[in-house]
This record gives sequence, C-alpha cells and structure tokens, in this order.
Amino acid sequence: MAEKESKAFVLGGLNVGGWYVGDWRTQKPIIDYGKCVKCWICENFCPEIAITKSENGPQIDLRFCKGCGICANECPVKAIEMVEEFRR
Amino acid sequence: MSYYDVMTGNKAIACGVKLARVKVIPIYPITPQTSISEYLAEFIANGELDAEYVHTEGEHSAMAVAIGASISGSRVFTSTSSQGLAYMHECVAQAPGFRAPIVMAVANRRVGSIWSLGSDYTDVMPETNLGWIVYFVESNQEALDTLIQLYRIAEDSRVLLPSMLNMDGFYLSFSYERVNVPDQETVDNFLPEYRPKYAVNPLISKVYPNVFPPPPEGLTAYSRMYEELFEQAKKVIYEIENEFYNVFGRKYGGLVECYQLDDAEYALITVGSMSTAAKRAVDRLRLEGFKAGLLRIRVYRPLPLNKLRKYLDNVKCIGIVDRSVNHGTNRGPIFCDTKATLYGGSEKKIYNFISGLGGEDISIEDFLNMFKILAKEDTSCEVYYFEHPIPKQDKRITPSEIPDGEKRLIFSGGEGCPGCTIPILMRYTLETLGQNVVFSFPPHCAGISFSCGVLNVPYYIANFAAGAAYATGTYRTYKIKKVADKIISAVWAGDGGTYDIGFQSLSAAAERNESILFICYDNEAYMNTGVQRSGATPYGAYTTTTPVGKIWKGKGERRKDMPLIMSMHRIPYIATGAPSHTNDVKVKIGKAKDTVLNQRGLAYLHLLKPCPTGWFFETSKSIEVSRLAVLTGMWPLYEIEYGKLRVTYKPSKLKPVKDYLSIQGRYKHLTDKEIDMIQNDVNKYWNMLLELEKLEKLPWYL
Ligand SMILES: Cc1ncc(C[n+]2csc(CCOP(=O)(O)OP(=O)(O)O)c2C)c(N)n1
Ligand code: SF4
Ligand code: SF4
Repeated sequence: MAEKESKAFVLGGLNVGGWYVGDWRTQKPIIDYGKCVKCWICENFCPEIAITKSENGPQIDLRFCKGCGICANECPVKAIEMVEEFRR
Repeated sequence: MSYYDVMTGNKAIACGVKLARVKVIPIYPITPQTSISEYLAEFIANGELDAEYVHTEGEHSAMAVAIGASISGSRVFTSTSSQGLAYMHECVAQAPGFRAPIVMAVANRRVGSIWSLGSDYTDVMPETNLGWIVYFVESNQEALDTLIQLYRIAEDSRVLLPSMLNMDGFYLSFSYERVNVPDQETVDNFLPEYRPKYAVNPLISKVYPNVFPPPPEGLTAYSRMYEELFEQAKKVIYEIENEFYNVFGRKYGGLVECYQLDDAEYALITVGSMSTAAKRAVDRLRLEGFKAGLLRIRVYRPLPLNKLRKYLDNVKCIGIVDRSVNHGTNRGPIFCDTKATLYGGSEKKIYNFISGLGGEDISIEDFLNMFKILAKEDTSCEVYYFEHPIPKQDKRITPSEIPDGEKRLIFSGGEGCPGCTIPILMRYTLETLGQNVVFSFPPHCAGISFSCGVLNVPYYIANFAAGAAYATGTYRTYKIKKVADKIISAVWAGDGGTYDIGFQSLSAAAERNESILFICYDNEAYMNTGVQRSGATPYGAYTTTTPVGKIWKGKGERRKDMPLIMSMHRIPYIATGAPSHTNDVKVKIGKAKDTVLNQRGLAYLHLLKPCPTGWFFETSKSIEVSRLAVLTGMWPLYEIEYGKLRVTYKPSKLKPVKDYLSIQGRYKHLTDKEIDMIQNDVNKYWNMLLELEKLEKLPWYL
C-alpha cells in the first residue's frame, strides 16, 4: 500500500522557472537591425538571459528584460537605444 | 529637549542606545535588525555617539565581543535576529554566567528549519531559558523606553543579568510610529555611567567575573541561587519603571499589562505587537457586552508567576497565543509555561492558539474567532492552529513556455536588481559545468535572485557560516557512492559567506583538501542585507556601516586578500575572474571543474561581481565597471595552478584607478590623497603579482 507522504517536506526542483519581471522596467531597449553586426555581445552580457540569437539579429524577450541598459552600453556599434517606457 | 519624531522600531532602539551612552557596540547585520546597525554606525560616523563600533565577522563573535567588553567594564549593546541569534547561541548561554549586563535587542524573525523573513518567536524561544531577562514590547515608544530602563535593571547590583528586548521584526522594526525621544540630560540623570564592582582589569582588581570552575556549593545550588536573582529582578523592574514614570511620564505595567481584565470572563494572553490587534478585538466584544479581556506578558523571564495567578484568578477561560511551537509537544512555549503556572489554582479552561508563524498576520478577525472558541468552552480540544496559506502568485513562467525550456540550466525571471551581474556569472558557470552540479547556497543576494526557481540544477540553502561544510557533506557522500567523478559539489557564496562568517568552514575544507568547488562572487559588501561592510570591502568605500560623516570617511581598512590566503592552504587551483572577461573566466571554471572531478582537491574561484545598487553606479555600467576593474589593476586576473601563479590578462599599461573609482558613488568622497594611496597600493600589488609570476612555484607550496 502506498503511504501518504506528509506535506511537511519542502522539496526543491519542483517549481523550475521564473517570474515575468519585465514590468520592473522603466526603459526598454530598441535594436536598430540596420546597424547590428550580429556580434552577440549583447546576448552574452544580458543578465536576464532575455536576449536570444536569431537570423535577423538579437531578439529581446520583453517579458523578462528589466531595462538595465547593459546591452545598449556594451553594443560596439551602438545599435541599441534605451527609450523611456510610457505606461499609464 | 525631548522631541517627537516618526520613526521605525529600529530607529527607536538606536536612539535609545545613543541616549544610554553605550560604549561598545559589536554588531552583525541581519534582516530585520539591520537598520539598527546602520543607524548606530551613522551616529558614530557623525560624532553623535562616542562608542567603539565592532564590525564582527558573525554573531558568535558579536556576542563574544559583547561579553569581553562587558566584563571589562563597558556598557554594551548588540542586536540580532533569527539565524543570527541561533548562531550566537553558545555565547548567549555564557553571558549570564559572567553576570554581564549586556542589553541585546532582538528583532524577531523566524529561524530556519524552514526559512522565512517573516516575524515569529522561533528565534527567541530557544534562548529564553539560559538566564537572560527577556522582554517583549508592543510599540516603538515602548521599545525605546524599555531599552533605557533595561540598562538600569540589568546593571543594578541586585540583578546584574544580561537582558534581551524582543521587538517583532517588520511589525515594529520597520513600521513607522510616533515616538517621543527624551532629552539627553534627563536620561543621563536617570541612567548614570556603568561602574561595575567586578571587572576583568588587573590594574584595578585581582578578582573578576569568570565561568569556571563551578562554585563550591555545586551547580544545583548555583541554579537555585540564580533563580533568586530573578526574584530580585521582579522587584527592581517595578522600582525602575516607577522611577521612569516619575521622570518621563510613561509606564507600561511592569511585568504584565492588563487590558479590560478586572471583570473579564474570557481572556487572551499575548506578547508583543500582536497585542494591539487583540485589544481591538476585546474592544469590539466589550461593545457587544461580551466580557473579554487581555493580559500581555511584557517580561517573559522572569516569568511573572504571581501576577498571572492574581490577575487571571477570576477568568473562566483563557486562550494563550503562541507564535512558535515546541515541536514534539504540539503546544507553544508560552502556553506550556503559563498553563503550568496556573495549574493548581482556581478551575479554568486553558486553550492554546498557535498562529502567525513566518510573519503570517494575526488579524482582529482571528482574535475574535479565538474568543468565539473560548466562549464555547469545549473541552475536547486544547490546541487550535490559525493558519494562513501564502497567496498564490500566478505570474510564473514554466520551462515549456520558452524555447528549449526543458534543456536550460538557468532561466530568465530571477529577482535580482536590474544590472546585477550574478546571473551572468552563474550562466558562465553552468554553461561550463553542465547539469551535474549541486550548489550549497549560504544566504546571499543570489539566493534571493534565484530562489523563485530559475536554476535547473539542485541548490539548497546552507547556513551562512557553513557553505563549504555542507558541500563537504555532499562530496563525501558522492565519494563513497563512487560518483564524485561525475557530480560537482559546489559552493556559491558571497564575500560575506567567504571572507567573514564563512571563512572558518572554507579554510578547514581547504586544509582537508576536499574536492569541492568554492565560488566566491565578490560584490565587496553584504548586499543582501542592504550594503554593509564586509572583509572584502575595499579601503575608503562607503557602506551603510562604514558611512561618510564628520569622523568616519568610508571603510578605514584595506580588504583581505582571499585568493592569496587560499593559496596558503596549498590547494590545487585558485583563480580570479570578472564577468567582462568571458573567455578568461570560462576557461578557469573549466580548469576548476577538472580539478574537482578528478578529485585533486579544492578549487577556489574568486569572481568580481559589480553591484549597481551597492556601489552606486548606473545599471547599464555593470560590465563597464568590471572591465575597468581589470584594466586599472583593481581586479587583476590570475590563476594559481599547483602553486604556479600566472597573470592571465596583462593590459600593456594599467589605466589610472581614478577611472574606475570615479564612476562609482561609493567612492565619491575620496580625496586626491586617498586616491593616490589606492593607486600606490594597486601598483605595488600588480608588481608583486608580476614578481610572483616569475617564480616556478609560490614558495609556500613547498
Ligand atoms: C548567521 C547569519 N547571520 C546573518 C545572516 C543575514 N544575512 C543574510 S545574507 C547576508 C549578507 C550576505 O552577504 P554576502 O555573503 O557578501 O553576499 P551578497 O548578499 O553580498 O551577495 C547576511 C548578513 C544570516 N542569514 N545568517
Ligand atoms: S536592457 Fe538589460 S535586461 Fe533588457 S535586454 Fe538589455 S541587457 Fe537584457
Ligand atoms: S551587441 Fe549590438 S551589434 Fe552586437 S549583436 Fe547586440 S545589437 Fe547587434
């Protein structure tokens, strides 16, 4: 007979995943794909792992981008601009 | 002149400490006590308080410094919470034996087993039977007033006992209330300078307090005599509260406060800030004609036996509210004590209400329901748990919602500050180590960032002082199970968990040469608790406990040199790294991995972690700051492989350190002279590294 396990047992590894932290943002990165040379520096340094590589260039997942601006600061050709988020 | 201000409980405590003219303050930060340590540092930095501030490396030492200072004749204050109080325990147990009248404020917070930042009494309850006077306060004003009285009580020659002031974390520690701050002169008259009869001071006396050997009467007799001190203390508490009332016009009832108790039939016993909500419940019930009352225990040790018996004599039914459980008894500690006290008196029914653990709010509704249970006078059940499930947060992302989600080892959506470089370093680490790694996490910012579940490898919370010891345990298990060549036992620690409180277990693991990977990410202060100084904080840097004021100008000492200290343990691999230098750091993580999986011994990685929040620079500059740290020589990149030191990145010419310092707010007060000094240090250090690099092996590797 299977015994019922007590719930007084906190287990790690059950809830893998994160929060939608994009709403922390006060400014957002806009990429000028015309300038981008696909060096992927932004992808390497984004602390939120919000940037992924794609054929067109970096894709930013705004659900997770906290708007820190590291990508814009590090881009060697200044292809990323940080613009104010306007929200109601 | 006394004045009114709106302040938190922590500020009220700090103001009390200042008014009491405390002379020695050994203290270690922990939520929710931290701001006490910060206010006090600020007072001293500005010359408002003339006291020795000791930035200890942990709470065990904080209490030890407190005892040393107290028995040699100083008025002492310290303060802690939760894990800190637990870590202090051994020294807490020793203070009473020395009859050291230390006053300690405890901002109550849950102590692990299961961790929480929330307030409850699981931290203080194990400490209550050691011989300390134990108070619980209800308001910030009471906290300040009690603190001042406590020095009088503790230092009274009839008492001479250490005293603990408990104040609910968050509910009081961080809540703003109107507080009257008495004026210094009046307090000076009320509380004269501390002049102990016995002190450890060979210039004054050859007789001094000690805790060994036991007295000739034996320890049973000693314990009985010690209890007599508590009987004395009860009298002294009333005496001093009356005196305080005559001078300052405020009083709280001595050992217990009675609220609507005279004709009450049903009464609750509470402690601390919950009493306010409980009193509102009493008020409502009184309006309905229900004879409710309340007794608030202010002084839990000495337990006011006679007062409890006297004031509760006519009550039919009593409910005792506990914010902790004596596990294995299914009752709370206050219940156990109080019920034992009332046993044998007039017949009454006594119930235990257990609630508010881990900061769960005990509402007025809850107290009304407690009274409802009392009114039923049901004898079939004695204990009731008032539970409050944590509200579900539904904004979680699951791996299936992102491309390649199941394969990822680290996810987006962590809770670190914008611009924090911890996730960058963790990503480099996981990309290099792969999935068979187990992390020991002493508490730190990373624990907060990642705890929502963004890591897809096992990581468990270790105690702050024992990161390397936990990892030793997992390593030894994998070793006997013959999988230590496949699984990496790693520690991911902040600088506090490495340089300070974590040093002992790290040093011991290194000396035993355990095959574990210790990664210190160094943000040069205790960031998780809000930017307090650590052994890693560089000279001159502002932190909240090394503020810039009239007297202090940031940290006055140089930082420890951890990588070289680790090299003195002759471990096989040591390296420094920085997030801006990706390949360099990844290669080093790879070498560390090899070292550990081949079971050659301990690998130590020391990674720079620029912190926009604590170093005061723009979030976009984290990588730029890291790069400048390397280019100016503030953070040299090197490795030590079996004693062979190699500088892995050599700029052709170091940039001036000013480039690095000037973009960080924590250095903005530095004078040119200080900057020159730092530059000089960096030049010397850099040259030293180049010299060491020429050696075939560092000489101490033998
Ligand atoms: C014994 C003990 N004392 C104090 C604390 C409170 N505490 C938690 S994290 C922390 C600071 C961590 O600093 P550090 O190791 O430098 O990591 P950081 O947060 O800076 O990343 C402190 C003081 C604790 N959890 N346990
Ligand atoms: S702003 Fe920051 S979080 Fe957003 S994409 Fe750029 S680096 Fe990532
Ligand atoms: S850093 Fe700039 S150039 Fe490089 S991939 Fe990103 S946007 Fe393109």
